[in-house]
Amino acid sequence: MTTETAARTEAPRVRSWPTTLGLLSGPLLWLAFFFLLPVVIVGAYSVGGLSLFPTDAGLSLFDWRRFLTGESIYMGLFWKSVRMSLTVSVVVVILAYPIGYFLALGTKRRKYVLLLVIIAPFLTSYLLRVLAWKVILGDAGLVNSFMFWSGVRSPDDPISWLIYSRFTVMLVLAYVWIPFVALPIFVTLENLDRSLLEAASDLGASRWRTFWRVTLPLSLSGVLAAFVFVFIPTIGEFVTPLLVGGIRGYMYGNAISDLFTQGLDWQTGSVLSLFLLTVVAILTALFGRFLQVRKVVTD
Amino acid sequence: MMGELERMLSQRLGRRDFIRYASIVGGAGVLAACRRATQRPVGDGTTLTRPPVEQEPGALEVFDWTGYGDDVYGDAILWKGYKNRFPAEDIQYTVFKDDDSSYVKVAAGQRFDVAHPCGYRFQDWVNLEDAGAPVLQPWDTSLISNFPNLNPSLEQAGQFNGQQYFIVADWGFAAPMYLADKVEPREDSWSLLWDERYSGKISWWDSLNMLVVAGYYHGVPDPWAMTDAELEEMKNFLIDKKKVVRFFWTGTEIDQAFKTGDVYIAYAWPASWTVGTYYNKLNLVYMQPKEGRTSWYCGFALFNDTDNYYHAHEYANAWTSARSGQWLLANYGYGHTNTTVDLTKLDPGLVETFSLDDPTVLDEPRTHVERPIERRDVYSELWEEVKAA
Repeated sequence: MTTETAARTEAPRVRSWPTTLGLLSGPLLWLAFFFLLPVVIVGAYSVGGLSLFPTDAGLSLFDWRRFLTGESIYMGLFWKSVRMSLTVSVVVVILAYPIGYFLALGTKRRKYVLLLVIIAPFLTSYLLRVLAWKVILGDAGLVNSFMFWSGVRSPDDPISWLIYSRFTVMLVLAYVWIPFVALPIFVTLENLDRSLLEAASDLGASRWRTFWRVTLPLSLSGVLAAFVFVFIPTIGEFVTPLLVGGIRGYMYGNAISDLFTQGLDWQTGSVLSLFLLTVVAILTALFGRFLQVRKVVTD
Repeated sequence: MMGELERMLSQRLGRRDFIRYASIVGGAGVLAACRRATQRPVGDGTTLTRPPVEQEPGALEVFDWTGYGDDVYGDAILWKGYKNRFPAEDIQYTVFKDDDSSYVKVAAGQRFDVAHPCGYRFQDWVNLEDAGAPVLQPWDTSLISNFPNLNPSLEQAGQFNGQQYFIVADWGFAAPMYLADKVEPREDSWSLLWDERYSGKISWWDSLNMLVVAGYYHGVPDPWAMTDAELEEMKNFLIDKKKVVRFFWTGTEIDQAFKTGDVYIAYAWPASWTVGTYYNKLNLVYMQPKEGRTSWYCGFALFNDTDNYYHAHEYANAWTSARSGQWLLANYGYGHTNTTVDLTKLDPGLVETFSLDDPTVLDEPRTHVERPIERRDVYSELWEEVKAA
């Protein structure tokens, strides 16, 4: 290391406060105007501090009480969405792990080309990807047509639960999220210290045992991150259930959307939104602790 | 108007005349049912302080129903007159799926040049204010050359405070529709929408109107003004019957669902019948239920802060032309306000399905014209509960 380089390395990193403030002001203002302020507005709507129509009732915690005490039907809907999201998240992580593993440890050449191929669906419209499933799963869709052609089912008796069901919503959500979820798993495995795997092998561990005792434990942070990446957004999901869910796939996010756009009930919609936001914030804090975000940042 | 009707009905009309006057008769039904229509003369909006049409920005922003702005079925002919006048200008469409979502969007502050709400919401739209100023302004009917040819009773339903706030353009029905090849109704009744023999092949409209329909089915005295007990009963009934439903439709996806066989039965508008029959070649029946069809009428509203005042009038004029009316009837099965439309050129099947040659088609109890629901917020809340249950 030359003297000049060393001096540059040892130069003080503390910036003057105007510089720091200048650098931070943009993101802070952005957060204040486009996140905090809207949340405050939604909060005001949730207690009647603001109302869409002048005739709406004034300040009241009525909707909060109805929701939190389970008097309204929306708490049940919330738990239904949690169950669906949990199922999707677990399934997606299980399916995405082998993809991430193969990319990180199973291939040496062209791994980034393969990665690009896997995330290629993200380059197409989300709506298009969801709607494509209608063509595949509909009563006259690809799957049922094959069933008719092969004589397994009669054309008068298609497999009806393939579309407009909870199954469909979970299937499509899994399809949509798998490439995205494979990324954090891939990154974790890619950064794995290979010498540990070699050591396990040298010590006589089988490949299976090495996976269970070394690879999987060391990649758990990536698995957890992948789980969070799916679970949090899918709790509030509403587009996929709207398009392929039918009445059985109706989720908490649909109720929020409908209350704002159709139901003329912004107060209840705001209660539901804020509750979801709170749950997501708590989950993020909890998972953030396990994910050791601070460690990643300081590293 | 009633005198005109009596005169029409007392004469021996030929079939051609009968069909020709069907839209006027429809207007009478609308008028009879429209509680809020006034008897005041048409008022003119002021035009004195506005810049000439050449100085307007153009790029008219229209807030309209799905199917009226996407040109999927060639509906661009509805505003062809406008395009002829302003060939270089594009129209900016924002489409909505139901009256409540459109009303909420505007109540929340979104603005356009022209919107297309329906009659039972007219008063609500007129009442909207933006910092004390009205959101809508009346039309200057002298700028709409087609206006003298429009159905007077329908246009009267668009008047408030003596001024023409809405250019009523279209009307139609809502009724059960089914695939004749697949479905054999036990009777002509709304009950087909919850017939368990066809569980999983039925679709309801995603609208609180389902509560009204259930009310008619149960013989409620006034389904547009149900009591709390009646509403609770209808809500529980729909929740119980919801299990037969495959999905709630919100737009033209219902047409696709009939085509693919995902659905055999639905709450439907005439456009679904025409699209299914003419475009998708399906054997569809548009039912006349014993409890009566419901019907509606919609009209164009002009926003107060529009910079495209003359463009907007030109658009309304294009929409209310006889050519637009002809297309609307032939392709969507919707009635039109223009009384000079030559209805004899229509497909006889269309005329028969919608009983256009029957002057009583819109009369009670055979048809119930949609009316304002005073406690719409309660209806809406209960419908949301039906969906979420």
